Amino acid sequence: MGNQLALIKREIWEHRSIYITPAAIAIVMLLLALTGQVAISALGASVDLAMMGANELPPEAHKAMITGFVAGLGSIFVVAMWILTIFYSLDSLYAERKDKSILFWRSLPVTDAETVLSKLLVAIVVIPLVTFAAIAVTQILSLIFASIWLNAEGGNAGLLIWQALDLVDIWGGTLIFVLALPIWLSPFVGWYLFVSAWAKRMPLLIAFLPLFVLPMIEKIVFGTAFLASAFFERTASLPLFNIGDNTFAMFELEDMPFDENMISLLGIIDLGKFLSSLSLWAGLIVCGLFTTAAIYVRRYRDES
Amino acid sequence: MTSLVTARNVSKHFGSTRAVDDVSFSIEKGRILGLIGPNGAGKTTLLKALLGLTDCDGDLSVLGLDPFKQRKELMQNICFIADVAVLPRWIRVSQLLDYVEAVHPNFSRPRAEELLSRTKVKHDKKVRELSKGMVTQLHLSIIAAIDAKLLVLDEPTLGLDIIFRKEFYSNLLADYFDEERTILVTTHQVEEIENILTDVMFIVDGKILLDAPMETVSESYVELLASGANAEKARSYKPIHERDVFGKKVMLFEGTDRSLLAELGELHTPSIADLFVAKVKGASA
Repeated sequence: MGNQLALIKREIWEHRSIYITPAAIAIVMLLLALTGQVAISALGASVDLAMMGANELPPEAHKAMITGFVAGLGSIFVVAMWILTIFYSLDSLYAERKDKSILFWRSLPVTDAETVLSKLLVAIVVIPLVTFAAIAVTQILSLIFASIWLNAEGGNAGLLIWQALDLVDIWGGTLIFVLALPIWLSPFVGWYLFVSAWAKRMPLLIAFLPLFVLPMIEKIVFGTAFLASAFFERTASLPLFNIGDNTFAMFELEDMPFDENMISLLGIIDLGKFLSSLSLWAGLIVCGLFTTAAIYVRRYRDES
Repeated sequence: MTSLVTARNVSKHFGSTRAVDDVSFSIEKGRILGLIGPNGAGKTTLLKALLGLTDCDGDLSVLGLDPFKQRKELMQNICFIADVAVLPRWIRVSQLLDYVEAVHPNFSRPRAEELLSRTKVKHDKKVRELSKGMVTQLHLSIIAAIDAKLLVLDEPTLGLDIIFRKEFYSNLLADYFDEERTILVTTHQVEEIENILTDVMFIVDGKILLDAPMETVSESYVELLASGANAEKARSYKPIHERDVFGKKVMLFEGTDRSLLAELGELHTPSIADLFVAKVKGASA
């Protein structure tokens, strides 16, 4: 496994979108924050109240408001992360065949299993970690901008923001979430890697067509919707939270059916539930099978 | 001498096509073997089998390893340049060096830097920004900095202009080759490599037509330039091939006594290209 670090670096050199995409989103969000459109509207009416010295919110509700706002900044990054993961995995074993560099890569003492594994690791670990870093920087800078603005308007940012801010909770919860999501969706990542290794052309189409066509055939032939629910409900639900399985629960805290005075990201995350979910392990097995198939195709197919 | 490569009854089928058809040969250490054959003769398939890129039937051993099953170990001691286009176009020269240094235990970074410093290849350039000739120089610099026992070159100079082609082979000999190393090369431009080869192998329709050291080739084969009655007489010695050049006959003999032929006209050692044509035509006749 000594080669993994070099292989992962190689992936980042080739796929610069891994860091450019989250960095670009961070820059746009911060520009919006600077012009006041994100930070201020999110803090909303309570800012006005606070500035007039009429912040009567109880401390728990105050903390919930800040947590909800800061955690919510991550939602767009997570959507982008998943799109990035799809495009990355579909390209990762296809581009090297298209530009014929596969013959060069395979002329070095690196096994096909090591290579494919490095691509899987990038998809489900590296991309989430880079995304997390971008989220964390965006959150901190947004809060700093908001503080400067608040203070300039005569408010007390220390009291209004920083005192109610629990970064350990927000970052801990966000990190667990961005790592859990790709693991939960790993059967799709495995499938994309396999298509990337196998498709002669148009990997995007080949990857997505069965996701729509197979459920349709199932519906017509058997009248059931097993595949449709397997494919689509998996994306919409994530058994990570103790407040229901909505994938985006963390970003929609204000809509959640629980005592808003108790909002804490680590508080709503239930790792035991996640790790004991049979669907999670079934998905990991599917991912393993597709990844093995991708290694097999790279190893055995004659590319000339 | 130790055999670096041993092939016994090696075959590779694609459906009903026999790309490599029951071939047996060995390659000794310190040799430069030219593998010559027309397109579709099975050269590339044979090289791929040697490099563990494709499986095959029969017994094939490269550096004592099964190339298909032990590809990673094999690649620590083998280098290959399959085609000039294989270096990834997006990578920077410095990144390429970093990567090879990280994954290849036998790569010498200082050696590669030294070889590259003699070229115009800059570290901060991407491969796509280099000319075709510079990409080949880069690839050769990396390969030459790897302490490998066997170097396999498949059409390494395809698409290069003549200056780069000449330079490629002279650099190869100067920077890479020594008695500890072995080179296996295929090319269409036979005339450019025949003076560096120590051994030659002809492959046609998946079969080996000739496998011999160059000194044997010049001993066994002779070309006679003759005309008129001398040509008629020479024909009775059964040349394996005959062609016309400026109204004279050029006949190629295998194993015929030179002293008999010397009386009939000028004798030459045939070029590899001419010998190849003669062997292929003779085989199909």
